[in-house]
Amino acid sequence: MPDFTDSLKPQYDGQAILEAERNRSPIQVHELSKHLLSRNNFLERQSKIVSILQNDPLFSKRNQLNMSRPDRFHVGLARNKKLRRLAKQYAWDLEDYKMAEYLTDEMSPYHLQHGMFATSVFQQSSDEQRAEWLPAVRDFKVLGCYAQTELGHGSNVRGVEATATYDLKAQQWVLHSPTLTASKWWNGALGRVATHAVVIAQLQIPKKEGTGYDSHGPHQFLCRIRDEKTHQPLDGIVIGDIGPKYGYASMDNGYMLFDNFRIPHSALLCRYSKVDPKTGAFQRQGHPAIVYGTLTATRGAIILNARLVLARAVTIAIRYTSIRRQFQDRDAETSSQEVAVLDYPTVQIRLLPLLATSLALHYTGEAVSDHFKKSAAKIENGDFSALAEMHALSSGLKSLCTQYAADGIETCRRSMGGHGFHGASGLVGINSDYLSKPTVEGDNWMITQQVASYLIKKMDEVVTNTAGKSKDTVVGQFQSFLTAKKPFYTLFQGSEINAKEILNAFEWRSAYLSHEAYQARIVQKKSWTSLLIQLHKLSRAYSEMVLVTNFFNAIQSSNLSIETAKVIEQCFYLYALYTIDNDPRSFSTTGAVADASMDALPDHILDIMSQIRPHAVKLVDAWAIPDYLLNSALGRYDGKVYEDLFHRAHHENPLNKTTFNPHWEDEEIVLGSGDGGKILSKL
Amino acid sequence: MAPVPPWVKKLRPAEPLGSQLLDAERAKSSIPVDKLTLFLYGQEFIDIKAKILKILQAEPLFDKSQNYFQGRVERWEKSLARAKRLRQLAVEHDWSLEDHNVAVDLIAEPIPYMLHGTMFLLTLFSQCSDEQGAKYFMRAMDYKIIGCYAQTELGHGSNVKGLETTATWNSDDKTFTIHSPTLTASKWWIGTLGRTANHAVVMAQLIVNGKNHGPHPFIVKIRDMKTHQPLENIHVGDVGPKIGYNTMDNGFLLFNNHKVPHEAMLAKFSSVDPETNQYVPPKSAAQVYGTMTWVRSTIVWQSGGYLARGVTIAVRYCAVRRQFKDEEAPDSQKGETQVLDYSMVAYRLLPLLAACYALHFTGKIMMDMYQQKQGLLTDSTSKQEQEFAIAELADLHATSCGLKSLASTTTADGLETSRRACGGHGYSSFSGIGDVSTNYLPNVTWEGDNYMLTQQVARYLIKTARSVMDGAPITNDTTKIFSYYQSRAEIGAAFDVLGSDTDLVAAFAWRSAYLSFDAMRQRDEAKKPWNDLLVDFYRLSKAHSQYFIVKNFYDTLVTEDPENALDDDTKGIMYLLFRLYALHTLESEANEFFTSSALTVHQITLCRATVMRLLKEIRPHAVTLVDAWDFPDFQLDSSLGRKDGDVYSDMFYRASELNPLNDLTADPYPDSPVIVKSRL
Ligand SMILES: Cc1cc2nc3c(=O)[nH]c(=O)nc-3n(C[C@H](O)[C@H](O)[C@H](O)COP(=O)(O)OP(=O)(O)OC[C@H]3O[C@@H](n4cnc5c(N)ncnc54)[C@H](O)[C@@H]3O)c2cc1C
Ligand SMILES: Cc1cc2nc3c(=O)[nH]c(=O)nc-3n(C[C@H](O)[C@H](O)[C@H](O)COP(=O)(O)OP(=O)(O)OC[C@H]3O[C@@H](n4cnc5c(N)ncnc54)[C@H](O)[C@@H]3O)c2cc1C
Repeated sequence: MPDFTDSLKPQYDGQAILEAERNRSPIQVHELSKHLLSRNNFLERQSKIVSILQNDPLFSKRNQLNMSRPDRFHVGLARNKKLRRLAKQYAWDLEDYKMAEYLTDEMSPYHLQHGMFATSVFQQSSDEQRAEWLPAVRDFKVLGCYAQTELGHGSNVRGVEATATYDLKAQQWVLHSPTLTASKWWNGALGRVATHAVVIAQLQIPKKEGTGYDSHGPHQFLCRIRDEKTHQPLDGIVIGDIGPKYGYASMDNGYMLFDNFRIPHSALLCRYSKVDPKTGAFQRQGHPAIVYGTLTATRGAIILNARLVLARAVTIAIRYTSIRRQFQDRDAETSSQEVAVLDYPTVQIRLLPLLATSLALHYTGEAVSDHFKKSAAKIENGDFSALAEMHALSSGLKSLCTQYAADGIETCRRSMGGHGFHGASGLVGINSDYLSKPTVEGDNWMITQQVASYLIKKMDEVVTNTAGKSKDTVVGQFQSFLTAKKPFYTLFQGSEINAKEILNAFEWRSAYLSHEAYQARIVQKKSWTSLLIQLHKLSRAYSEMVLVTNFFNAIQSSNLSIETAKVIEQCFYLYALYTIDNDPRSFSTTGAVADASMDALPDHILDIMSQIRPHAVKLVDAWAIPDYLLNSALGRYDGKVYEDLFHRAHHENPLNKTTFNPHWEDEEIVLGSGDGGKILSKL
Repeated sequence: MAPVPPWVKKLRPAEPLGSQLLDAERAKSSIPVDKLTLFLYGQEFIDIKAKILKILQAEPLFDKSQNYFQGRVERWEKSLARAKRLRQLAVEHDWSLEDHNVAVDLIAEPIPYMLHGTMFLLTLFSQCSDEQGAKYFMRAMDYKIIGCYAQTELGHGSNVKGLETTATWNSDDKTFTIHSPTLTASKWWIGTLGRTANHAVVMAQLIVNGKNHGPHPFIVKIRDMKTHQPLENIHVGDVGPKIGYNTMDNGFLLFNNHKVPHEAMLAKFSSVDPETNQYVPPKSAAQVYGTMTWVRSTIVWQSGGYLARGVTIAVRYCAVRRQFKDEEAPDSQKGETQVLDYSMVAYRLLPLLAACYALHFTGKIMMDMYQQKQGLLTDSTSKQEQEFAIAELADLHATSCGLKSLASTTTADGLETSRRACGGHGYSSFSGIGDVSTNYLPNVTWEGDNYMLTQQVARYLIKTARSVMDGAPITNDTTKIFSYYQSRAEIGAAFDVLGSDTDLVAAFAWRSAYLSFDAMRQRDEAKKPWNDLLVDFYRLSKAHSQYFIVKNFYDTLVTEDPENALDDDTKGIMYLLFRLYALHTLESEANEFFTSSALTVHQITLCRATVMRLLKEIRPHAVTLVDAWDFPDFQLDSSLGRKDGDVYSDMFYRASELNPLNDLTADPYPDSPVIVKSRL
């Protein structure tokens, strides 16, 4: 319906503002995009897929935030099906399909099919089992989920309560849930969709003599859980969706209980453990380290994803805060135009370091992925020597990078003031979905113990044998640490920043804290639990060092045009110096940075930010995040912020289609409907 | 839902049960919970809460079991029904304002009448002339008209002076024309406006004879009293879904040359004389100042309680949740370890527990100070007394800005930390923390954005530092600590922060003074532009506010309250919490304590060890310390935070018996276009 609002224009023209921002920076956006996003033809793939999705009404994201959970699930499943059909129609490969998932930007039931489910079927199956299952998995004839976590146990996988007891006579496994806490829980796609599950249960075999069982720990079993025709749970199984969550509305995370449910002997995925069907003899075989290999690869992907998530939030915030104007400058002589809020240092200090962080994550994500690719062949051939360091390293990075991204989204959201709170900010869905990441694939606090434990072990080796040769980079760092005195690096000469000294300072701090932890644990024999916080800090320091190092290496070998390279170098400084400034004590007490440099930090940071500021919009443009994915009035490429906010409120908001009865004496809710009192029946 | 088979009904959680674990926790702490509750709230409040809770729980409309499952529109409609019922109950039981507030708190969702009851009434109360009061305020009190407070616009929130809506005086027919010249002039975010209100207090630039006199309040009828349709040339609606606050209809509002009568302008302080067509300006700005201070103090006061909801849930759950067996644990600990015993979990939660208390005490003191200083102003007879009172209010105003910023940031971040500390189950809606957290988030933005606001604190502290430099006398706490600092700046100070609680407080004062004088020099001597100092100002404001919180915590403990006295044991534990809050803060801000020469590096290292020790000492009391906040299960609506610890059965019950998604059977295969195969 046309009305007087149609002719209204915003006070400031966002489109013109962004144009001006783009005109004042010499950065070659396309060049930088290619530099950042060439892996696996990301850019071409993205534009190919986005053009298909954004024109399909089923994939329109409007109004998604108004939907109830069951409706979101409903749409999510419909979209999943459509994606599969599109994949067939356009002959998408797996990367294309993943791109489509990334662009639709919701976690939905089929997500696990190619992920956790297929991976574990592949990794844990014998060759015969692979031949039997994998084609059906690939063709979505078998729809699966990965049922490991239970109501009572998640982190501690060894503690799962579900049992799989071998029945020698029947040559079957009996799956059973002895308690309520043994219920499977959180397993994606299980709630309403999966026909099959990989179930993790305690494998137990009746003792040869007497009663009782020999327990062999958690193992994976693959079995059908729902009827092929009716899609109802099979007899002896209870399944359901666990209910609404902070995010993941369209995913049916499920629960599942077994009442002495029987599955065949062949259900045990037996690449690494075998049970003789007749004798029940249990036997382990092969080296499951390959599993760590995949874990590491997954973590490379997690970092690359964290980078894009953070980049998305930063894109929205940078564009909006360059358009948003609030207050005249206090020191300005005459009453000039209002100031773009991105020109306030208290806004910059929240956003620009995050912009730099997204680049830091990029270079490390690339390095980890490359590294993994290189060693993948070795691993295939049974050489696992490089794996330990990578695995340890990747736990620390998973923790730090997902925390950067999760916290970064919220920081960006808050930096936008009131409008950041609105659904049209585009940060509501991403925020609540991404907040699962600090917990899943290893709780961010818990897994930092793995890095720390690795570093302590290495330090112990180096202390015992100072001159030993090793391929591990940390060994070299530890060796030079042990022979040196506190260096107190000087980071600045006047206005010059010394990148190499920054790098040295990070390496020194990491080695110093490793040594401190080694002292506490190995020399003073302190209990592990009493050290957890110290270990967490160590993991962080180490991971920050890795990020700084990879960033540093990348700018050394950069082939970007001079002007762009210069700005990326500024981002390196910003990331590194801001990181120091955030935990200044650990740089001064370890003797990593000289006091004078510490004192000069804040001024340098302000200065670098003011140098990056004119390029901010183009830097985020380079992340090439399509409007379809941003789904944000505030972060639109064309800057039409206010027009879009208003359009969404005025034309798309279902609440405005109803007139309500506001008077408290009347029980009626919808005016004229006579629905008084009926709302109770909806409860 | 499909019926739950008997074999499932029979299942119990693995032993030890949550209830046993929480019983054991409660048994090992000496704290008399009731006494501590009394100390926190006072008897009157406790009685009110009991009375209201009983009434609400008897009402089917306030049953929360479907809350987490519903979509925005459904939830909003239900919330309107609840708002109405609440009003009916208020009339029926003759509730006081406090009774009503307690009820809203227990329902724990923002209801659509909310802004009517708060900002609308408050503005009418403080800004109406006597005639307007009779006409609008009384009817609003009776909910005959329903209103909202429409200040923020699409283009301006923080900068109120920049509002674009105009109210132009027409001398010919003695009316005002309210108009929105641009799209960004649209009112935006206005609570209760979207679908509920029929009146609005509209802030608009007053233009008289072509001259702009800045934003002024007008009361405007926006919807027809019968049809509830917007009046002609008014365009109004709900702004759409948000990250939280979805049971509230935050609205937009546009005017197309809409005329309102002369009496629409709220005229207590300023007005337009209809005879002369002249603008009559206000006499003093102190009153408006007062309201802002009051609103911010309220935010500070409530922040402790909000944070305590998340912390209660997380502490209880982490005492029930057991994961891994700690191989080095003493033999007395059988089986897996309660995750609250991992120092990494305690390190995240217990300082927050201390912060709940710290914020609550500071909030209480702020509210008292507000009453007292406002009283000074009202009672002032001489010009001198009045000036003194106004200076005191300015001090309080600055303090309230800094505290609002720090307290609401602490709570917003702390709620998310609590949620994450719960691991996977923290991500379920049934954790109950998600909703508290997202509904709390606007607090960091409204009533002054938390970053922006700190400039006001800095401005005040710099001014005070300047006056102390010039030898101004000691008049209040701020001038006192600045004078002390100034007298010792060249000599230095040594604070025994681990040996003496008063030294601990003094070290915080020292740092705040140091940063204030430093900021003053940056501005006055180095002549740095204001804009370049904003980050420093943010830190300064934080430092000053932390000092204030630490000081108030300490003062609360040393002040004897004969009515609600604590026994020595409990007092002792409160001192532990005080030290934990102070030392944990000190440790995270160690650099500033070091550069201000309040502490040596060695002292800082010792502080860290002390924090670890305090965590251990407080740990046995963690559950009783959250129990003392006395949140009914009805209010928390959380599986994880249940008082009886029956976490797992409740999670399972909600998932399997309350969850509507389980009523539908999906057709899962991609090649079939059918989505739902059957519905129950
Ligand atoms: C959205 C989502 C999807 C999921 N999808 C699946 C799925 O498809 N399949 C599946 O099987 N599972 C799934 N999960 C489960 C997930 O893997 C677990 O939730 C995760 O591993 C964390 O375990 P937890 O919940 O037991 O946390 P807990 O271990 O109970 O964590 C609670 C707290 O204790 C701390 N803690 C625990 N152990 C230690 C320790 N040793 N030292 C110090 N601190 C400790 C943690 O830091 C945390 O603060 C999903 C979870 C979510 C949220
Ligand atoms: C849920 C909700 C309910 C609300 N209810 C109401 C209501 O009922 N009535 C009403 O009138 N309003 C209401 N508001 C609006 C609220 O008061 C404003 O959103 C708030 O004042 C912030 O203003 P803004 O949105 O313009 O933020 P902006 O000022 O645009 O903030 C954007 C960014 O700029 C920064 N910034 C701005 N100015 C400066 C400066 N001078 N120096 C440094 N940095 C600066 C901020 O720190 C922030 O990071 C509501 C808002 C929300 C989210």
